[in-house]
Amino acid sequence: MITSIAWKNVWRNKTRSFTVIAAVTIGVFAGVFSMAAINSSIVQRINAAVNEELSHIQVNNKDFRSSGDIRDIISDPSAVISTLEKTAGVTAVTGRIIVRGIASTSAGSTGVEITGIDTEKEKQMFTIDRKLIPGTGSYFGSDTKFNTAFIGEKLARELNIIRYILTSEALSGLETAGVPLTVIEKLRSLEGQRFTTEKKFSAAYSELLSAKELKKYGLKIKEAGWSYREGSRIILTFLDMNNNQTGAAFRICGIYRTNNDLFESLTVFVPASELRQLTGIGEGQFHRIIARLEEDDLTNDVTPVIREALPGYEVMNWKEIQPDLAMIADYINQIYAVFMVLILAALAFGIVNTMLMAVLERTRELGMLAAIGMNRRRVFMMIMLESIFLSIVGGVAGMAVSGIVIAITGHTGINLVKYSEGMEAFGYSAHLYPSIGAEFFVTLTILIVVTGIVSAIYPARKALKLNPVEALRGE
Amino acid sequence: MKKLIIVTGLIMLMLPAVHKAGAQELTAKAIITKADEKFNGEMSGYSVMNMTIVRPTWQRTVEFKSWSLEDDYALTLITAPAREKGQTFLKRGTEMWSWNPSISRLIKLPPSMMSQGWMGSDYTNDDILRESSVVDDYTHSIEGEEEIDGSNCYKIKLTANDDAEVLWGHQLWWVDKKEFIVLKAELYDEDGYLVRTERGTDLKTMDGRFIPTTIELVPADEEGRKTVLKILEVKFNVKLEESFFSQQNMKTIR
Amino acid sequence: MNDYQLAWKNLWRNRRRTLITAMSIFFAVFFALVMRAFQLGTYDKLYKDVIESYTGYLQLQQAGYFDEPGLDNSFEVDPGLLKKLENDPNVTAVVPRLESFALAAVESRTQGVMVLGMDPDGEDKALNIRNRMVRYKLTTEAAEAIKKEGVPQRTEKLLDVFLNQSYTDESRLITDLGISSTDTATVMPLMRRHASFRNGYLTAEDTNGVIIGSGLSAFLKAGVGDTITLMGQGYHGTSAAGIYTVRGVVKLPAPDVDNILVYLPINEARNLYAAPGMATSAIISLKNNDDKAVGQTRERLNLVKGDNLAIRTWQEMNALLLNQMEADNRSGAIMIGILYLVIAFGVFGTVLMMLAERRREFAMLVSIGMQKGKLAKVVSMEMLLIGFLGVAAGVIASLPIVFYGNARPLRLTGEIARMYEDYGFEPVMPMLLPDTYYLWQVLVVLIILLFTVAFSVRKIFKMNVINALRA
Repeated sequence: MITSIAWKNVWRNKTRSFTVIAAVTIGVFAGVFSMAAINSSIVQRINAAVNEELSHIQVNNKDFRSSGDIRDIISDPSAVISTLEKTAGVTAVTGRIIVRGIASTSAGSTGVEITGIDTEKEKQMFTIDRKLIPGTGSYFGSDTKFNTAFIGEKLARELNIIRYILTSEALSGLETAGVPLTVIEKLRSLEGQRFTTEKKFSAAYSELLSAKELKKYGLKIKEAGWSYREGSRIILTFLDMNNNQTGAAFRICGIYRTNNDLFESLTVFVPASELRQLTGIGEGQFHRIIARLEEDDLTNDVTPVIREALPGYEVMNWKEIQPDLAMIADYINQIYAVFMVLILAALAFGIVNTMLMAVLERTRELGMLAAIGMNRRRVFMMIMLESIFLSIVGGVAGMAVSGIVIAITGHTGINLVKYSEGMEAFGYSAHLYPSIGAEFFVTLTILIVVTGIVSAIYPARKALKLNPVEALRGE
Repeated sequence: MKKLIIVTGLIMLMLPAVHKAGAQELTAKAIITKADEKFNGEMSGYSVMNMTIVRPTWQRTVEFKSWSLEDDYALTLITAPAREKGQTFLKRGTEMWSWNPSISRLIKLPPSMMSQGWMGSDYTNDDILRESSVVDDYTHSIEGEEEIDGSNCYKIKLTANDDAEVLWGHQLWWVDKKEFIVLKAELYDEDGYLVRTERGTDLKTMDGRFIPTTIELVPADEEGRKTVLKILEVKFNVKLEESFFSQQNMKTIR
Repeated sequence: MNDYQLAWKNLWRNRRRTLITAMSIFFAVFFALVMRAFQLGTYDKLYKDVIESYTGYLQLQQAGYFDEPGLDNSFEVDPGLLKKLENDPNVTAVVPRLESFALAAVESRTQGVMVLGMDPDGEDKALNIRNRMVRYKLTTEAAEAIKKEGVPQRTEKLLDVFLNQSYTDESRLITDLGISSTDTATVMPLMRRHASFRNGYLTAEDTNGVIIGSGLSAFLKAGVGDTITLMGQGYHGTSAAGIYTVRGVVKLPAPDVDNILVYLPINEARNLYAAPGMATSAIISLKNNDDKAVGQTRERLNLVKGDNLAIRTWQEMNALLLNQMEADNRSGAIMIGILYLVIAFGVFGTVLMMLAERRREFAMLVSIGMQKGKLAKVVSMEMLLIGFLGVAAGVIASLPIVFYGNARPLRLTGEIARMYEDYGFEPVMPMLLPDTYYLWQVLVVLIILLFTVAFSVRKIFKMNVINALRA
């Protein structure tokens, strides 16, 4: 009965109740959404590192990481592979050949890490094939007699493989994209001219446009001028097994884009078979064998198991290879906690205040109830229940709102392109897709309800202390 | 007598025909082969050269002596300017070392410096070290004939083979018909854009051979930049052993 | 009794209510100030580290140098022009530099380095280099010796944490090793005896001395007195090569720079790179460094400098850093915004309740003759007073913390510290002294209050006295 009275009380004073509910809703939404944004950014970074760059466990020859010498191969690869495959938690295993060398075009050369992979098996372990920039070819798709290479966008830019040309198609494309004809006419003088670097290109079109036009359309123009000829040639030079310098021409089968500039400029993927032919590394030999686990969380448990089983090799997991990532993952929980405490404290203040006011406002009513025989404990319960209801309703509403907003932005993404230069230098994407774990959601709800309850205690006790006679007489 | 005249007459008539047939038999590939041999063959031995690096606001000249064996080994000693005098460079196959006496240091050229210009010029270390063959790595076709500096030249197009280890998409060579000297070459990237032009001028006879003594390298795309190489002295067929091209010799050669 | 006194009395009539409302405002203001102090303080330090030890606030460069840095874009130093620039009221000195890359080698170890040819005295005046020379180094031998002599346990433990660290001043050493003020008298002499670092400096005439960064010194394993070779490409492609002796080790706050920097007297640098009389940039050091003064000084100097020269600001020279900090700044501001939003609702709720509770009281006042306008005025005053109370309390409570955080910055250690250094930042989080950001917080609270005041006033004017009396 108290429950129903409490419930009715809540809806009696709509303004009051709505204010409290609104406060709780906003607080919940704010806290959850910002956490989702940060969480997703970090999860994205970690996923990118694991799925595109490192995978979970790497096994190397003990000296390989520091020497980079082509001859430091794994001495017994089949044993390593079978050990890994038998380990619980491992879902896929593949081997790689890694050779340090130079990539050259007529525009210049730069040092790279040439990675020979089993193109089919890699798809089970890495998502780099999905990072292909549409329109630049394929991930080793075409059947060709030439050596093929899959390179990163940063490298392609450095070697001027990606160039900027405003072709007539590009210009008409801009027209359909809504760029006004006046701007297009101004750009007409650049038609067909090739620019080897992004800088030269932007310098050229910046001169022709006003600052306002530049701000509005600059990015679109830059994208429209982006040009790449499929199958461009790149020369890879490196040392073979006999320490002789060798090399070959490779055709670029596709260009990939991750958010990690460093990775893109260093890593060149080629089919292992081609690399074997050129270097003399035997069939079945590898520099690195990689294992993928079912879940990131299994990493800490599985690593020691593998280490014990493979004592002659260097076994490392992704957290050890990139400790800063591991740290951020752990560190971020502390930040969540701090932030939530603050939001909850703020909420608590709001609820205490409002409920206190409510109690004081209802002095007469409460006095009346006491006078007609409602015992103190019941009065206390009633106030408590009202608070709990308000918190729960607010909490649920907050969850609902955050859920919807997260679902929407999780789909469309939040675009922080303005900060992309800085973020990508650290390996973070400038497109956020907020997401949050279910358990976090639930934990939060519980915390909010608890806050509501705790905040209600003080006002409820105040209600108890009311003297019915005085109360009835009015203030 | 009449028989003799007819025979000689016939022979006389035939000679030009044979000559013409011979000329037609000279395929584009053959022309390039001859030009290549001439150039590479000529550069073996010993030479004294100077190189002028020209830039829009300045220019600088370096003088050096060079010993080479075929295309695989070379030892170069800088003789001027005074600052750099005494520095030596050794090429063995695809590797290069440099020795700087002022700091007594011998360094092997790291691969990262491949695209840098040698001594700051437009000749890159890649040009010097990369072993590719104009004969084997390209297909050749005769595009016609043109006159360069008063000489009649074959205009030959060299198209890089798809799997060739060369940086260029194609090249255009103007080869003098008489002496098979490359008087002009244009180097294009894969998209067909001109990257560099090379010119051979000042043809003289040196040590019994007729060669261009001035070679100019002009990068396209940039105003006022070029590198000019002048051959001051050259000796062919100097007897040099592979052991001559050693790190030890780098430090002691004069 | 005037309105103000009435408002004040009303506040204290219901002490509890007043206090609770004021408290929620206090809480928000306090927290916001402390958090912003942290954030802004850290950015400030990051910028300052780079600016005040490396780039300076303004630099004179050849016009094309900014887009294509390199010896070939250096300019000839005209002493007349430098004098003209120094005549500007805000300029204290103009110090030329010649910077370029080189490969440094110590025995068989090599490292790419940034060679900074400078005037040892001028650079010291502009960027305080002498104070950044290493004074103490906690080498393994030093640590052992100190431990043997006996120090408090806390310091012993911290000696292990900070092994091999270099220090430029005593105060940081004291903080890091947790030496309390009572122990200073006994422990510091030990430090001076065992951990002092024998260091030197450069003179302008020195033709074979260099000063290297502490990070570089550690990597190349080169200390004072060791020989270091520098090789590279000079002006117009000439070869550059020279052998030098390390005269001193400096510790610059930005690890990125500290790991690769080599100081060389500018005349010797000009010799090394074959660039006589040239400079790649000139640091313009200023009396007043704040953003406005920097901007104005640049405007003035732009009129005096030659045509093919340009004056660059620190923002231009550190564009990437700025971008990163801005991103972080925005996220911080958003967090605070959220906090305020929640508080605003809390305050609003309280005000609602207060109005509801005092409905009868208001109705009574109006019915005995008080003007609604006057009532509204008094009630508004009450709210503003509560607001001011909360803000004042928040500000006052934050001040000691902010001052402390500024004098003794929070120093990160362990994994986190290493991560910061990997990214090129020093792992310290100082607080920013009270600045405009304090005003911002006050402004926000005022806005919240104004809303509530407006709402209350409206409610009062719309009040139906008779109904209210009956309630």
